[in-house]
Amino acid sequence: MLSLVLAAAMQLGTRGGPIAVPPHVRTIAIDTRLAEDARLRVGDRVVLAGQPAAAEGGDTVVVAAIVAPNADPSEIARADYRIRLHLSELQRLVGTGDRVDRFAVRTTAAPGRQDVTDEALARINAAAFGFHAYRSSEVAVRTSRTFQVVNRFHRAIALITIVASSIFLLCILVLRVDERRRDVAALRLLGISRRSIVGSIVVEAALISLVGSGLGTAVGWAASLAINWHYRGVYRTPLAFARVTPDIVLVAVALAIVLGVGAGALAATRLVRLPPLALFGR
Amino acid sequence: MAAQPAPTPGAARAPVVSVRGLRRDYPMGDEIVRALRGVSFDIGAGEHVAIVGPSGCGKSTLLNLLGVIDRPTAGEVRIQGRDVGGLPDREATAFRLRHIGFVFQRFYLMPMLSARENVELPMAEAGVPAAARAARARELLAYVGLADRERHRPAQLSGGEQQRVAIARALANRPTLLLADEPTGELDAATGGEVIALFQRLREDGTTLVVVTHDDALARAAGRVIQMRDGGIVGR
Repeated sequence: MLSLVLAAAMQLGTRGGPIAVPPHVRTIAIDTRLAEDARLRVGDRVVLAGQPAAAEGGDTVVVAAIVAPNADPSEIARADYRIRLHLSELQRLVGTGDRVDRFAVRTTAAPGRQDVTDEALARINAAAFGFHAYRSSEVAVRTSRTFQVVNRFHRAIALITIVASSIFLLCILVLRVDERRRDVAALRLLGISRRSIVGSIVVEAALISLVGSGLGTAVGWAASLAINWHYRGVYRTPLAFARVTPDIVLVAVALAIVLGVGAGALAATRLVRLPPLALFGR
Repeated sequence: MAAQPAPTPGAARAPVVSVRGLRRDYPMGDEIVRALRGVSFDIGAGEHVAIVGPSGCGKSTLLNLLGVIDRPTAGEVRIQGRDVGGLPDREATAFRLRHIGFVFQRFYLMPMLSARENVELPMAEAGVPAAARAARARELLAYVGLADRERHRPAQLSGGEQQRVAIARALANRPTLLLADEPTGELDAATGGEVIALFQRLREDGTTLVVVTHDDALARAAGRVIQMRDGGIVGR
Protein backbone atom coordinates (compact mmCIF):
# COMPACT_ATOMS: atom_id res chain seq x y z
CA MET A 1 0.00 0.00 0.00
CA LEU A 2 1.21 3.41 -0.80
CA SER A 3 1.80 5.80 2.04
CA LEU A 4 0.12 9.01 1.15
CA VAL A 5 1.63 12.18 2.40
CA LEU A 6 -0.02 15.52 2.46
CA ALA A 7 1.59 18.10 0.30
CA ALA A 8 -0.11 21.44 0.86
CA ALA A 9 1.87 23.13 -1.86
CA MET A 10 3.30 21.60 -4.99
CA GLN A 11 6.75 23.11 -4.94
CA LEU A 12 8.54 20.25 -6.54
CA GLY A 13 11.86 19.80 -8.21
CA THR A 14 11.22 17.83 -11.35
CA ARG A 15 13.25 15.30 -13.21
CA GLY A 16 12.61 15.07 -16.90
CA GLY A 17 11.35 18.63 -17.34
CA PRO A 18 7.83 20.08 -17.30
CA ILE A 19 5.09 18.36 -19.25
CA ALA A 20 1.96 19.71 -20.78
CA VAL A 21 -1.03 18.28 -18.90
CA PRO A 22 -4.62 19.06 -19.84
CA PRO A 23 -6.33 21.10 -17.08
CA HIS A 24 -8.89 18.39 -16.26
CA VAL A 25 -6.22 15.72 -15.57
CA ARG A 26 -5.00 15.41 -12.01
CA THR A 27 -1.24 15.30 -11.42
CA ILE A 28 0.96 13.79 -8.76
CA ALA A 29 4.64 13.84 -7.88
CA ILE A 30 6.42 10.62 -6.88
CA ASP A 31 9.79 10.02 -5.27
CA THR A 32 12.74 8.58 -7.10
CA ARG A 33 12.54 5.21 -5.33
CA LEU A 34 9.00 4.63 -6.50
CA ALA A 35 9.93 5.83 -9.97
CA GLU A 36 12.82 3.38 -10.16
CA ASP A 37 10.99 0.40 -8.67
CA ALA A 38 7.78 0.91 -10.65
CA ARG A 39 9.70 2.12 -13.74
CA LEU A 40 7.61 5.25 -13.91
CA ARG A 41 8.56 8.34 -15.82
CA VAL A 42 7.19 11.86 -16.00
CA GLY A 43 4.07 11.79 -18.16
CA ASP A 44 3.08 8.23 -17.26
CA ARG A 45 -0.54 7.64 -16.25
CA VAL A 46 -1.25 5.68 -13.09
CA VAL A 47 -4.36 4.70 -11.17
CA LEU A 48 -4.44 5.96 -7.62
CA ALA A 49 -6.63 4.40 -4.91
CA GLY A 50 -6.79 4.52 -1.12
CA GLN A 51 -6.79 0.69 -0.82
CA PRO A 52 -5.32 -1.94 -3.21
CA ALA A 53 -8.68 -3.64 -3.47
CA ALA A 54 -10.23 -0.38 -4.60
CA ALA A 55 -7.83 0.07 -7.52
CA GLU A 56 -10.54 -0.37 -10.10
CA GLY A 57 -12.43 2.53 -8.68
CA GLY A 58 -9.42 4.73 -8.38
CA ASP A 59 -8.49 7.91 -10.16
CA THR A 60 -6.22 8.01 -13.16
CA VAL A 61 -3.52 10.62 -12.62
CA VAL A 62 -0.43 11.75 -14.49
CA VAL A 63 3.05 11.68 -13.00
CA ALA A 64 4.02 15.32 -13.30
CA ALA A 65 7.27 15.23 -11.36
CA ILE A 66 9.81 12.88 -9.82
CA VAL A 67 11.34 14.28 -6.65
CA ALA A 68 14.36 13.28 -4.62
CA PRO A 69 13.61 12.01 -1.12
CA ASN A 70 14.48 14.19 1.84
CA ALA A 71 17.86 13.75 3.50
CA ASP A 72 16.17 12.71 6.74
CA PRO A 73 17.95 10.16 8.94
CA SER A 74 14.64 9.12 10.51
CA GLU A 75 13.43 7.85 7.15
CA ILE A 76 16.41 5.87 5.87
CA ALA A 77 15.36 2.58 7.41
CA ARG A 78 11.81 2.91 6.12
CA ALA A 79 11.11 1.57 2.68
CA ASP A 80 8.00 3.72 2.20
CA TYR A 81 7.24 5.20 -1.16
CA ARG A 82 6.10 8.78 -1.25
CA ILE A 83 3.56 10.43 -3.43
CA ARG A 84 2.70 14.10 -3.32
CA LEU A 85 -0.73 15.01 -4.47
CA HIS A 86 -3.20 17.82 -4.27
CA LEU A 87 -5.01 18.13 -0.96
CA SER A 88 -8.47 17.62 -2.46
CA GLU A 89 -7.30 14.45 -4.18
CA LEU A 90 -5.85 13.12 -0.94
CA GLN A 91 -9.04 13.85 0.95
CA ARG A 92 -11.07 12.03 -1.63
CA LEU A 93 -8.77 8.99 -1.65
CA VAL A 94 -8.71 8.44 2.11
CA GLY A 95 -12.36 9.26 2.51
CA THR A 96 -11.83 11.59 5.47
CA GLY A 97 -12.06 14.92 3.84
CA ASP A 98 -12.34 16.95 7.01
CA ARG A 99 -9.51 15.49 9.08
CA VAL A 100 -5.71 15.77 9.18
CA ASP A 101 -3.25 14.44 11.72
CA ARG A 102 -0.78 17.28 11.43
CA PHE A 103 0.01 20.18 9.24
CA ALA A 104 2.72 22.79 8.97
CA VAL A 105 2.22 26.54 9.00
CA ARG A 106 4.81 28.89 7.61
CA THR A 107 4.54 32.55 8.58
CA THR A 108 5.34 35.24 6.09
CA ALA A 109 6.99 37.44 8.70
CA ALA A 110 10.67 38.23 8.42
CA PRO A 111 13.00 35.56 9.88
CA GLY A 112 13.63 36.12 13.56
CA ARG A 113 10.26 37.70 14.27
CA GLN A 114 9.56 35.60 17.34
CA ASP A 115 6.57 37.68 18.29
CA VAL A 116 4.74 36.73 15.11
CA THR A 117 5.48 33.04 15.67
CA ASP A 118 4.40 33.33 19.31
CA GLU A 119 1.13 34.90 18.29
CA ALA A 120 0.49 32.21 15.65
CA LEU A 121 1.21 29.46 18.19
CA ALA A 122 -1.14 31.05 20.73
CA ARG A 123 -3.96 31.45 18.24
CA ILE A 124 -3.66 27.88 16.92
CA ASN A 125 -3.51 26.40 20.43
CA ALA A 126 -6.56 28.45 21.45
CA ALA A 127 -8.55 27.49 18.36
CA ALA A 128 -8.80 23.72 18.81
CA PHE A 129 -9.10 21.46 21.82
CA GLY A 130 -6.63 18.55 21.86
CA PHE A 131 -4.43 20.29 19.38
CA HIS A 132 -0.98 21.60 20.10
CA ALA A 133 1.31 23.66 17.93
CA TYR A 134 5.09 23.44 18.17
CA ARG A 135 7.90 25.45 16.76
CA SER A 136 9.85 23.66 14.04
CA SER A 137 12.95 23.75 16.25
CA GLU A 138 11.01 21.93 19.04
CA VAL A 139 9.81 19.32 16.56
CA ALA A 140 13.38 18.85 15.34
CA VAL A 141 14.60 18.27 18.90
CA ARG A 142 11.74 15.83 19.66
CA THR A 143 12.30 13.79 16.51
CA SER A 144 16.08 13.69 16.75
CA ARG A 145 16.50 12.37 20.28
CA THR A 146 17.40 8.92 19.01
CA PHE A 147 20.04 10.45 16.83
CA GLN A 148 21.40 12.49 19.70
CA VAL A 149 21.92 9.27 21.64
CA VAL A 150 23.55 7.68 18.60
CA ASN A 151 25.67 10.79 18.23
CA ARG A 152 26.83 10.47 21.83
CA PHE A 153 27.79 6.87 21.17
CA HIS A 154 29.76 7.99 18.15
CA ARG A 155 31.55 10.62 20.21
CA ALA A 156 32.41 8.06 22.87
CA ILE A 157 33.73 5.65 20.24
CA ALA A 158 35.71 8.47 18.62
CA LEU A 159 37.20 9.45 21.97
CA ILE A 160 38.24 5.87 22.73
CA THR A 161 39.70 5.57 19.22
CA ILE A 162 41.64 8.82 19.59
CA VAL A 163 43.01 7.87 23.01
CA ALA A 164 43.99 4.38 21.85
CA SER A 165 45.58 5.63 18.63
CA SER A 166 47.38 8.37 20.57
CA ILE A 167 48.95 5.80 22.86
CA PHE A 168 49.81 3.70 19.81
CA LEU A 169 51.34 6.70 18.04
CA LEU A 170 53.28 7.62 21.16
CA CYS A 171 54.70 4.10 21.45
CA ILE A 172 55.58 3.95 17.75
CA LEU A 173 57.37 7.29 17.88
CA VAL A 174 59.25 6.40 21.06
CA LEU A 175 60.32 3.11 19.47
CA ARG A 176 61.31 4.83 16.22
CA VAL A 177 63.43 7.35 18.09
CA ASP A 178 64.87 4.61 20.28
CA GLU A 179 65.96 2.71 17.16
CA ARG A 180 68.23 5.65 16.39
CA ARG A 181 70.08 5.59 19.67
CA ARG A 182 73.40 4.82 17.96
CA ASP A 183 72.92 7.72 15.55
CA VAL A 184 72.16 9.94 18.53
CA ALA A 185 75.27 8.60 20.30
CA ALA A 186 77.38 9.38 17.23
CA LEU A 187 75.95 12.90 17.07
CA ARG A 188 76.77 13.41 20.73
CA LEU A 189 80.34 12.24 20.10
CA LEU A 190 80.62 14.67 17.21
CA GLY A 191 79.80 17.45 19.65
CA ILE A 192 76.18 18.04 18.70
CA SER A 193 74.40 19.41 21.76
CA ARG A 194 71.46 17.74 23.43
CA ARG A 195 69.31 20.73 22.58
CA SER A 196 70.12 20.48 18.86
CA ILE A 197 69.39 16.75 18.82
CA VAL A 198 66.07 17.14 20.65
CA GLY A 199 65.17 20.06 18.38
CA SER A 200 65.88 18.14 15.19
CA ILE A 201 63.94 15.09 16.37
CA VAL A 202 60.98 17.25 17.38
CA VAL A 203 60.98 19.03 14.00
CA GLU A 204 61.17 15.67 12.25
CA ALA A 205 58.32 14.31 14.39
CA ALA A 206 56.22 17.39 13.62
CA LEU A 207 56.82 16.99 9.88
CA ILE A 208 56.01 13.28 10.01
CA SER A 209 52.83 14.06 11.97
CA LEU A 210 51.86 16.78 9.50
CA VAL A 211 52.39 14.52 6.49
CA GLY A 212 50.68 11.64 8.34
CA SER A 213 47.66 13.73 9.23
CA GLY A 214 47.48 14.96 5.61
CA LEU A 215 47.53 11.39 4.35
CA GLY A 216 45.03 10.37 7.03
CA THR A 217 42.72 13.17 5.99
CA ALA A 218 42.98 12.13 2.36
CA VAL A 219 42.26 8.51 3.24
CA GLY A 220 39.36 9.60 5.47
CA TRP A 221 37.94 11.79 2.74
CA ALA A 222 38.20 8.96 0.18
CA ALA A 223 36.62 6.56 2.69
CA SER A 224 33.75 8.99 3.31
CA LEU A 225 33.11 9.12 -0.45
CA ALA A 226 33.06 5.34 -0.63
CA ILE A 227 30.83 5.01 2.46
CA ASN A 228 28.38 7.60 1.19
CA TRP A 229 28.30 6.04 -2.27
CA HIS A 230 27.62 2.59 -0.79
CA TYR A 231 24.96 3.51 1.76
CA ARG A 232 23.22 6.02 -0.47
CA GLY A 233 22.84 3.14 -2.89
CA VAL A 234 21.66 0.73 -0.20
CA TYR A 235 19.14 3.12 1.39
CA ARG A 236 18.42 5.21 -1.69
CA THR A 237 18.78 8.49 0.15
CA PRO A 238 20.80 11.65 -0.45
CA LEU A 239 21.83 11.56 3.21
CA ALA A 240 25.56 11.96 3.96
CA PHE A 241 26.59 9.06 6.20
CA ALA A 242 30.19 10.18 6.64
CA ARG A 243 31.57 13.68 6.37
CA VAL A 244 35.08 15.12 6.59
CA THR A 245 34.51 18.75 7.51
CA PRO A 246 37.16 21.48 7.82
CA ASP A 247 36.65 21.38 11.60
CA ILE A 248 37.41 17.67 11.68
CA VAL A 249 40.51 18.19 9.51
CA LEU A 250 41.73 20.99 11.77
CA VAL A 251 41.25 18.91 14.90
CA ALA A 252 42.95 15.89 13.30
CA VAL A 253 45.97 17.88 12.10
CA ALA A 254 46.32 19.77 15.38
CA LEU A 255 45.98 16.60 17.42
CA ALA A 256 48.52 14.75 15.26
CA ILE A 257 51.07 17.56 15.50
CA VAL A 258 50.63 17.99 19.24
CA LEU A 259 50.95 14.23 19.77
CA GLY A 260 53.86 13.94 17.35
CA VAL A 261 55.78 16.82 18.89
CA GLY A 262 55.01 15.56 22.40
CA ALA A 263 56.06 12.01 21.63
CA GLY A 264 59.17 13.15 19.74
CA ALA A 265 60.21 15.48 22.55
CA LEU A 266 59.58 12.81 25.18
CA ALA A 267 61.52 10.14 23.32
CA ALA A 268 64.38 12.45 22.34
CA THR A 269 64.74 13.90 25.84
CA ARG A 270 64.79 10.41 27.29
CA LEU A 271 67.47 9.40 24.81
CA VAL A 272 69.85 12.35 25.13
CA ARG A 273 69.85 12.05 28.92
CA LEU A 274 71.79 8.81 28.55
CA PRO A 275 75.58 9.06 28.22
CA PRO A 276 76.80 8.48 24.64
CA LEU A 277 78.62 5.31 25.66
CA ALA A 278 75.43 3.91 27.17
CA LEU A 279 73.66 4.70 23.90
CA PHE A 280 76.34 2.69 22.12
CA GLY A 281 75.60 -0.17 24.51
CA ARG A 282 79.04 -0.03 26.16
CA MET B 1 92.55 14.46 -4.71
CA ALA B 2 92.62 18.05 -3.55
CA ALA B 3 94.88 19.29 -0.78
CA GLN B 4 93.25 19.36 2.66
CA PRO B 5 92.33 22.95 3.33
CA ALA B 6 93.94 24.50 6.39
CA PRO B 7 95.40 21.35 7.98
CA THR B 8 96.01 21.06 11.68
CA PRO B 9 99.37 22.48 12.73
CA GLY B 10 102.32 20.73 11.13
CA ALA B 11 104.75 18.21 12.41
CA ALA B 12 106.16 20.19 15.28
CA ARG B 13 106.45 17.74 18.19
CA ALA B 14 104.92 19.80 21.04
CA PRO B 15 102.55 17.38 22.81
CA VAL B 16 98.99 17.82 21.75
CA VAL B 17 97.90 15.00 24.02
CA SER B 18 99.44 14.34 27.39
CA VAL B 19 98.24 11.34 29.41
CA ARG B 20 99.52 10.79 32.94
CA GLY B 21 98.74 7.90 35.30
CA LEU B 22 95.41 7.28 33.62
CA ARG B 23 93.17 4.75 35.34
CA ARG B 24 89.65 3.69 34.58
CA ASP B 25 87.78 1.24 36.78
CA TYR B 26 84.31 -0.10 36.13
CA PRO B 27 82.19 -1.56 38.90
CA MET B 28 80.85 -4.91 37.74
CA GLY B 29 78.57 -6.28 40.45
CA ASP B 30 80.72 -6.79 43.54
CA GLU B 31 83.91 -6.65 41.52
CA ILE B 32 85.82 -3.81 39.97
CA VAL B 33 87.16 -4.24 36.46
CA ARG B 34 90.37 -2.29 35.96
CA ALA B 35 90.18 -1.36 32.29
CA LEU B 36 93.18 1.00 32.42
CA ARG B 37 95.95 0.66 34.98
CA GLY B 38 97.94 3.86 35.12
CA VAL B 39 98.72 4.64 31.48
CA SER B 40 101.04 7.52 30.54
CA PHE B 41 102.17 8.81 27.14
CA ASP B 42 102.35 11.92 24.98
CA ILE B 43 101.25 12.50 21.40
CA GLY B 44 102.92 15.26 19.47
CA ALA B 45 101.23 17.52 16.96
CA GLY B 46 100.96 15.85 13.59
CA GLU B 47 101.69 12.38 14.98
CA HIS B 48 99.84 9.32 13.71
CA VAL B 49 99.49 6.82 16.54
CA ALA B 50 97.93 3.38 16.32
CA ILE B 51 96.71 1.70 19.50
CA VAL B 52 96.65 -2.07 19.11
CA GLY B 53 96.08 -5.05 21.33
CA PRO B 54 93.69 -7.94 21.95
CA SER B 55 90.01 -7.39 22.65
CA GLY B 56 89.35 -6.20 26.20
CA CYS B 57 92.86 -4.79 26.68
CA GLY B 58 91.57 -1.23 27.23
CA LYS B 59 92.03 0.29 23.75
CA SER B 60 88.47 1.59 23.42
CA THR B 61 88.45 2.79 27.03
CA LEU B 62 91.59 4.80 26.30
CA LEU B 63 90.04 6.19 23.11
CA ASN B 64 86.89 7.19 25.02
CA LEU B 65 88.99 9.07 27.56
CA LEU B 66 91.01 10.80 24.81
CA GLY B 67 87.71 11.69 23.13
CA VAL B 68 86.29 13.29 26.30
CA ILE B 69 83.31 10.96 26.38
CA ASP B 70 84.31 9.20 29.57
CA ARG B 71 85.90 10.31 32.84
CA PRO B 72 89.01 8.75 34.32
CA THR B 73 88.97 7.15 37.74
CA ALA B 74 92.41 8.67 38.36
CA GLY B 75 95.14 10.42 36.41
CA GLU B 76 94.76 13.13 33.83
CA VAL B 77 94.25 13.68 30.13
CA ARG B 78 95.41 16.99 28.74
CA ILE B 79 94.65 18.10 25.21
CA GLN B 80 96.54 21.19 24.15
CA GLY B 81 97.37 21.73 27.79
CA ARG B 82 93.78 21.62 29.03
CA ASP B 83 92.76 18.98 31.54
CA VAL B 84 89.67 17.47 29.95
CA GLY B 85 89.15 14.57 32.35
CA GLY B 86 86.61 16.27 34.57
CA LEU B 87 84.71 18.46 32.13
CA PRO B 88 80.95 18.62 32.77
CA ASP B 89 78.78 17.25 29.99
CA ARG B 90 77.99 20.54 28.30
CA GLU B 91 81.63 21.68 28.24
CA ALA B 92 82.78 18.24 27.11
CA THR B 93 80.29 18.37 24.21
CA ALA B 94 81.49 21.83 23.20
CA PHE B 95 85.12 20.68 23.49
CA ARG B 96 84.48 17.67 21.25
CA LEU B 97 82.79 19.89 18.69
CA ARG B 98 85.79 22.22 18.39
CA HIS B 99 88.77 19.99 19.13
CA ILE B 100 87.99 16.32 18.49
CA GLY B 101 87.08 14.55 15.28
CA PHE B 102 85.58 11.06 15.51
CA VAL B 103 85.63 8.34 12.88
CA PHE B 104 83.55 5.30 13.77
CA GLN B 105 83.70 1.72 12.60
CA ARG B 106 80.10 1.91 11.33
CA PHE B 107 80.32 5.43 9.88
CA TYR B 108 77.09 6.70 11.52
CA LEU B 109 76.24 9.08 8.73
CA MET B 110 72.77 10.58 8.94
CA PRO B 111 70.77 8.62 6.34
CA MET B 112 68.42 11.43 5.36
CA LEU B 113 71.24 13.89 4.66
CA SER B 114 73.44 14.07 1.59
CA ALA B 115 77.20 13.56 1.81
CA ARG B 116 77.75 17.32 1.85
CA GLU B 117 75.06 17.91 4.47
CA ASN B 118 76.62 15.24 6.67
CA VAL B 119 79.97 17.03 6.44
CA GLU B 120 78.28 20.35 7.18
CA LEU B 121 76.58 19.03 10.31
CA PRO B 122 79.34 19.76 12.88
CA MET B 123 79.96 23.15 11.27
CA ALA B 124 76.27 24.05 11.49
CA GLU B 125 76.37 23.18 15.20
CA ALA B 126 79.47 25.36 15.57
CA GLY B 127 77.63 28.29 14.00
CA VAL B 128 79.63 28.47 10.76
CA PRO B 129 77.66 30.53 8.17
CA ALA B 130 75.91 28.45 5.50
CA ALA B 131 78.03 29.62 2.58
CA ALA B 132 81.29 29.04 4.43
CA ARG B 133 80.32 25.56 5.58
CA ALA B 134 79.12 24.57 2.11
CA ALA B 135 82.47 25.68 0.67
CA ARG B 136 84.42 23.86 3.38
CA ALA B 137 82.32 20.70 2.92
CA ARG B 138 83.03 20.74 -0.83
CA GLU B 139 86.74 21.16 -0.18
CA LEU B 140 86.77 18.28 2.28
CA LEU B 141 84.79 16.01 -0.02
CA ALA B 142 87.28 16.84 -2.78
CA TYR B 143 90.08 16.05 -0.33
CA VAL B 144 88.68 12.57 0.35
CA GLY B 145 88.03 12.03 -3.37
CA LEU B 146 84.26 12.38 -3.35
CA ALA B 147 83.77 15.75 -5.06
CA ASP B 148 81.29 14.21 -7.48
CA ARG B 149 79.26 12.48 -4.76
CA GLU B 150 78.30 15.44 -2.61
CA ARG B 151 74.58 15.13 -3.33
CA HIS B 152 74.44 11.40 -2.74
CA ARG B 153 72.87 10.02 0.38
CA PRO B 154 74.74 7.42 2.44
CA ALA B 155 72.61 4.58 1.06
CA GLN B 156 73.84 5.51 -2.42
CA LEU B 157 77.50 5.25 -1.40
CA SER B 158 79.73 2.20 -0.93
CA GLY B 159 81.13 1.38 2.51
CA GLY B 160 84.52 2.89 1.63
CA GLU B 161 82.87 6.05 0.32
CA GLN B 162 80.74 6.35 3.44
CA GLN B 163 83.82 6.06 5.60
CA ARG B 164 85.55 8.76 3.56
CA VAL B 165 82.53 11.03 4.04
CA ALA B 166 82.74 10.28 7.78
CA ILE B 167 86.42 11.27 7.73
CA ALA B 168 85.56 14.51 5.93
CA ARG B 169 82.89 15.14 8.58
CA ALA B 170 85.43 14.50 11.36
CA LEU B 171 87.74 17.11 9.81
CA ALA B 172 85.01 19.72 9.36
CA ASN B 173 85.79 21.93 12.35
CA ARG B 174 89.57 21.59 11.93
CA PRO B 175 89.97 19.40 15.04
CA THR B 176 93.10 19.33 17.18
CA LEU B 177 92.88 15.55 17.35
CA LEU B 178 91.30 12.99 15.04
CA LEU B 179 90.25 9.73 16.72
CA ALA B 180 89.30 6.63 14.76
CA ASP B 181 87.84 3.46 16.25
CA GLU B 182 88.40 0.47 13.94
CA PRO B 183 87.84 2.63 10.84
CA THR B 184 88.46 -0.31 8.46
CA GLY B 185 86.55 -2.84 10.54
CA GLU B 186 83.49 -2.82 8.28
CA LEU B 187 85.38 -2.61 4.99
CA ASP B 188 86.84 -5.17 2.65
CA ALA B 189 90.56 -5.16 1.90
CA ALA B 190 90.31 -2.93 -1.18
CA THR B 191 88.13 -0.22 0.34
CA GLY B 192 90.03 -0.54 3.61
CA GLY B 193 93.16 0.21 1.61
CA GLU B 194 91.59 3.44 0.34
CA VAL B 195 90.91 4.53 3.90
CA ILE B 196 94.47 3.65 4.97
CA ALA B 197 95.81 5.70 2.07
CA LEU B 198 93.65 8.60 3.18
CA PHE B 199 94.98 8.35 6.74
CA GLN B 200 98.53 8.35 5.40
CA ARG B 201 97.73 11.49 3.50
CA LEU B 202 96.23 13.08 6.60
CA ARG B 203 99.43 12.25 8.45
CA GLU B 204 101.53 13.83 5.70
CA ASP B 205 99.35 16.91 5.90
CA GLY B 206 99.99 17.20 9.64
CA THR B 207 96.75 15.91 11.17
CA THR B 208 97.21 14.49 14.68
CA LEU B 209 95.62 11.08 14.45
CA VAL B 210 94.97 8.27 16.94
CA VAL B 211 93.60 5.02 15.56
CA VAL B 212 92.41 2.02 17.52
CA THR B 213 92.63 -1.01 15.27
CA HIS B 214 93.04 -4.72 14.83
CA ASP B 215 94.05 -4.14 11.22
CA ASP B 216 97.79 -4.74 10.79
CA ALA B 217 97.96 -2.75 7.57
CA LEU B 218 96.38 0.26 9.26
CA ALA B 219 98.71 -0.08 12.27
CA ARG B 220 101.75 -0.27 9.96
CA ALA B 221 100.68 2.99 8.31
CA ALA B 222 100.97 4.77 11.67
CA GLY B 223 104.14 6.55 12.71
CA ARG B 224 103.95 5.05 16.20
CA VAL B 225 102.22 1.99 17.59
CA ILE B 226 101.11 1.71 21.21
CA GLN B 227 100.71 -1.95 22.14
CA MET B 228 98.29 -2.61 25.01
CA ARG B 229 97.46 -5.61 27.14
CA ASP B 230 95.40 -5.98 30.34
CA GLY B 231 94.85 -2.25 30.68
CA GLY B 232 98.47 -1.25 30.36
CA ILE B 233 100.96 -0.29 27.65
CA VAL B 234 103.34 -3.16 26.87
CA GLY B 235 105.15 -1.72 23.87
CA ARG B 236 105.56 1.47 21.84
